Amino acid sequence: MSRVELLDAATAPLTAQQYFAGGDPGPIVAALATVPELLGPALGFIGPALSAGAIGVRAKEFAILRTSALQGCTYCIHAHTTVSLDVGLSPDEVRALRGELPLEEGFPSVKERALIGWIDALAGATGPIPDDVWTEARAHWGEHDLVEISVTVGATMFLNRFVTGFQLPTSSDVLERLTAEGMS
Amino acid sequence: MTDTDTQVAQGRIADAVRDGVLPGRVWLYSNYHCNLACSYCLTESSPRSDRRELTAEQMIAVAEQSKDLGFTALGITGGEPFLLPWLPEAVLEMVKFLPLVLLNNGTLFVGDRLERAAKLAHPDIALQISLDSHLSDINDMARGPENFAKVVASVPRLIESGVRVRIATTTGGPLDSAHLDPLKALVASWGVPAEDHLVRPIVRRGRADELGLGVQAIARDIPSELCITADGAFWGSFGPTVSNGRLDTDLLLTRTILPLSVPANALLAAVSGMPEGADAALGIR
Repeated sequence: MSRVELLDAATAPLTAQQYFAGGDPGPIVAALATVPELLGPALGFIGPALSAGAIGVRAKEFAILRTSALQGCTYCIHAHTTVSLDVGLSPDEVRALRGELPLEEGFPSVKERALIGWIDALAGATGPIPDDVWTEARAHWGEHDLVEISVTVGATMFLNRFVTGFQLPTSSDVLERLTAEGMS
Repeated sequence: MTDTDTQVAQGRIADAVRDGVLPGRVWLYSNYHCNLACSYCLTESSPRSDRRELTAEQMIAVAEQSKDLGFTALGITGGEPFLLPWLPEAVLEMVKFLPLVLLNNGTLFVGDRLERAAKLAHPDIALQISLDSHLSDINDMARGPENFAKVVASVPRLIESGVRVRIATTTGGPLDSAHLDPLKALVASWGVPAEDHLVRPIVRRGRADELGLGVQAIARDIPSELCITADGAFWGSFGPTVSNGRLDTDLLLTRTILPLSVPANALLAAVSGMPEGADAALGIR
């Protein structure tokens, strides 16, 4: 049960109506709409931060699912387990990102583990990030890649805390899919 | 916002007001509580309502920034604004920036409150008092016991004190009904000119919606005046209504009220998305 009112097409502010025109926009938009002046800017940031971008959808899902797992965000873990499977990650890769398998089992590629190491250092710890994590990531990825993925981690952490704080509900479609995949 | 953003907003809003794209008046809901509980109240106001007050400082800041942005007039409504003890002094500060109309129910002007209201004798201040019928029982059915008697006692006192008084009549019938003629005559007998007697329909929002009263209204039916409340900024003074104890958010523009350029720009953007000429179709004012 959400802690905040989730607005619908009838109660959505005039300045947020466009986000409801195509049907139910989901609980994040429905919650953000209570402060409509933040909705456009927030989505304008979240959208590009979470979409494929230059680095590609596979790497973006590493960042989103791994960050959500480290932050303990059930809503985002559920939602991005299905997205990750849809964009071609294997079940073992998804389980490894969720912390249910050793990372080496899911990701034999050193390059991909270096990226996940950078994500872990950003999302799973506080304080300075050790030089060796940066050096390893830079050995395989360009600066622009790491800037892009870091923005994705930041946007995901915002969403993690937003949906967790307000106890936004996972949709029944997602829950059914997770059950079918054996990943609920 | 940066200073540059504010300057851009000033030019844009001033142009829109000058060109008639935006109405010139900015409304403020000073508070939501009221000594009455009228049957058609948009905000379900009553003595038990959550007060949701703007502060005097906020209201004066809205007045100053309204002028800076290029708006041309202010309106204050509630709830019953005169329940706020600091109101007359705040209004006298606000009118230094723009002329204003102050809506009230006219039932509180006795003793000290009358003396303080008399300070509002100012060419740029009008007190708009509600009166719905020349028949006390009809009027009081909607507005509460002794409302008629209190209003007809207050209005001449205020006028005698030099206060400019307007009368607003809210009706469930046709706006040009001959049934209103005796009321118009009563109002005229106080020396209130015809142009200062507004007749408007009940709008089916708030308590009127619960009772099935009045005309249905959507955004394009409601004058697109910027309306500032403690809960945020709304499209029109008929926007921030309350239904079954909950604030209606369908006409919410922004939660941010100051700087005023934030909601003013949101209103302008919303108005720009509306069909041309689609406002005030129902005579709502």
